[in-house]
Amino acid sequence: MNNALTLTGVRKSFGATEIIRGVDMEIRDGERHAIIGPNGAGKSTLYNLISGRFPPSAGGIRLYDTDITNKKAFEINRLGLTRSFQVTNIFARMSVLDNVRCGCLFALGHRYAWWKLVGRLRDLNDRTAVILKDIGLWGKRDLPAGLLSYADQRALELGIAVAGGANVILLDEPTAGMSHSEIEQAVSLIRRISEGKTLVIVEHDMGVVFDLADRISVLVYGEIIATGTPSEIRSSAAVQEAYLGTGAS
Amino acid sequence: MNMLVGRLGPWIGGAIVLIALPYVFSSGFALTLMSQIGLLIVFALAYNMLLGQGGMLSFGHAVYFGLAGYFTIHYLNFIYEEEVPYIPVTLIPLLGGLVGLFFGILIGYVSTRRAGTTFAMISLGFGEMVTALTLVLVAIFNGEDGIQTDRVIGEELFGVTYGPNIEVYYLIAGWCLLCTLAMFLLTRTPFGRISNAVRDNAERVEFIGYSSQRIRWLAFSLSSFFAGIAGALHAVNIEHVGFEQVSVLQSGLVLFMVYIGGTGSFVGPIIGATLLYFLQSTLTGVTEAWVLYLGVMFVAVIMFFPGGLAGLITMHQPIWRVHSRLLAPLLIPYARFFAALVASVLGCIGLIEMLYFRSSRLSTETELIIFGIESDPFSAVPWVVFTGIAVAGGFAVRKTLPSAVSAWNTAIADARALPRG
Repeated sequence: MNNALTLTGVRKSFGATEIIRGVDMEIRDGERHAIIGPNGAGKSTLYNLISGRFPPSAGGIRLYDTDITNKKAFEINRLGLTRSFQVTNIFARMSVLDNVRCGCLFALGHRYAWWKLVGRLRDLNDRTAVILKDIGLWGKRDLPAGLLSYADQRALELGIAVAGGANVILLDEPTAGMSHSEIEQAVSLIRRISEGKTLVIVEHDMGVVFDLADRISVLVYGEIIATGTPSEIRSSAAVQEAYLGTGAS
Repeated sequence: MNMLVGRLGPWIGGAIVLIALPYVFSSGFALTLMSQIGLLIVFALAYNMLLGQGGMLSFGHAVYFGLAGYFTIHYLNFIYEEEVPYIPVTLIPLLGGLVGLFFGILIGYVSTRRAGTTFAMISLGFGEMVTALTLVLVAIFNGEDGIQTDRVIGEELFGVTYGPNIEVYYLIAGWCLLCTLAMFLLTRTPFGRISNAVRDNAERVEFIGYSSQRIRWLAFSLSSFFAGIAGALHAVNIEHVGFEQVSVLQSGLVLFMVYIGGTGSFVGPIIGATLLYFLQSTLTGVTEAWVLYLGVMFVAVIMFFPGGLAGLITMHQPIWRVHSRLLAPLLIPYARFFAALVASVLGCIGLIEMLYFRSSRLSTETELIIFGIESDPFSAVPWVVFTGIAVAGGFAVRKTLPSAVSAWNTAIADARALPRG
């Protein structure tokens, strides 16, 4: 079986506190994989380790066949892994259009070019238009991103993340703070943008998780206590006890 | 076709203004002033590539301006002594740019590893270090006296010798236009856009494939290149470079220019450089308190309109884009506020001038002329009058500001309500 991500014995300590305490996890190529767990379980930390925000204290992480354990964030991104953030993380003073353009630039090979004009790059502007229409922000493309509504900023956050066309997409609570109707839209958006790709999603809304995920991993106090299909997770006694029984419905 | 005119219009207009200026202001003083403003515009725009576009606050950018200046002076002298290959003075600024680029790449490699406060502190450190070096290495920099040259090294195309000031003016005007265009286009490249992205959110940039450090280094190097061109133009214009040109004072001056002009828009530094250097060169002969006024102006901009002068203009852009007649209701509230502001400022200036007079000129001069009126700082009358104007103006400012602000709010709301047309 071909794995998109393979984590073996990953640990992370901040000072004396160990947040991630030996995580083994396999994300299969092309699946939609949800990570759930109570607050403070270490979900965001795990994302930060995988995406290279900081290196793990021990263990190894592989993206397909490449060891990415100690690579920098931008190197990992160039290998085809992208992520979104729990707290909206956009370029507030730039236009919505330029936000998405920035997400496309490196992947399209324009890198640090200072001798070509962005207005003239057809591939860039075509791709940007596709993304903007997909996330429903084409009509607001000239607004400064900082002036968008919260839900629109979340959509833009997703747009920037997927603009580069990365194969492995990590989403960190993409529906946090949204209303019911907004969540519905967000889920269908996530379904569309992750078509044919590998999706890992951290999410608190169980409706979204069971709706979207092929497989679910449960992270409690820095350890994976169970991995399986939604129905397996639903019926797992360990999960019931540790998580579902105490937390969400 | 219309779009092309719209895009090229400002540049052609700018070129015509630059060509025509010497016919309007033809005195030697005006020519030197305009030349100096031209090269400071290049320097200020280069500085804004860091501050406004890249989010890097530097306290030592004069290093690249000044070092290129020193190099240019030496090179001209070497040409004179036939020790180096001949380069026409027309192209000498390019050489200065390469010197700036060299030091920008070198020092930037160290300083751009960090952003924010750390970057600012490192830039200050390098600024002080290079200033100290210019005073210590007398053989190269000639200490406090600085070095000089004669820019006339031979005849160039069309018999230009760069002897007369007017020829140097056109040299600087040409380079100014070229560099401005180049820096404007740079903001529209992938590099320029990612530089903005690093300014807004350096961390996020790392997750879309970019090394923010690499972008800062590139921005710093390119900015140093243009600062170097400005420094070489300075050397050609003044024919002298001293430690002042690399010092923190010069770095501070360009920061003031860019900030007062406005970091948020491309024309901000152009406005700032023009206004500040014009004020500096005309006011230093009139008042000793010029530096104080500069400081007050800087603080006022930071506190009350952080967008700078260009920001004041661009905040009206959404209004006149819809229709210019929407600006009409603004005129009267603005005029009232402006009159009040001018009165309070004039009152304060009067008081400051009298204070300066009493504290510094006691022995040599006996009369003080403020705004054409002879005022005796040793009698009570002018003190009472100026205090009265300042206080009344201050009250009027507070009274008229709300209506000016609400007039703008109404206009903006009207503009949003109307369709574009």
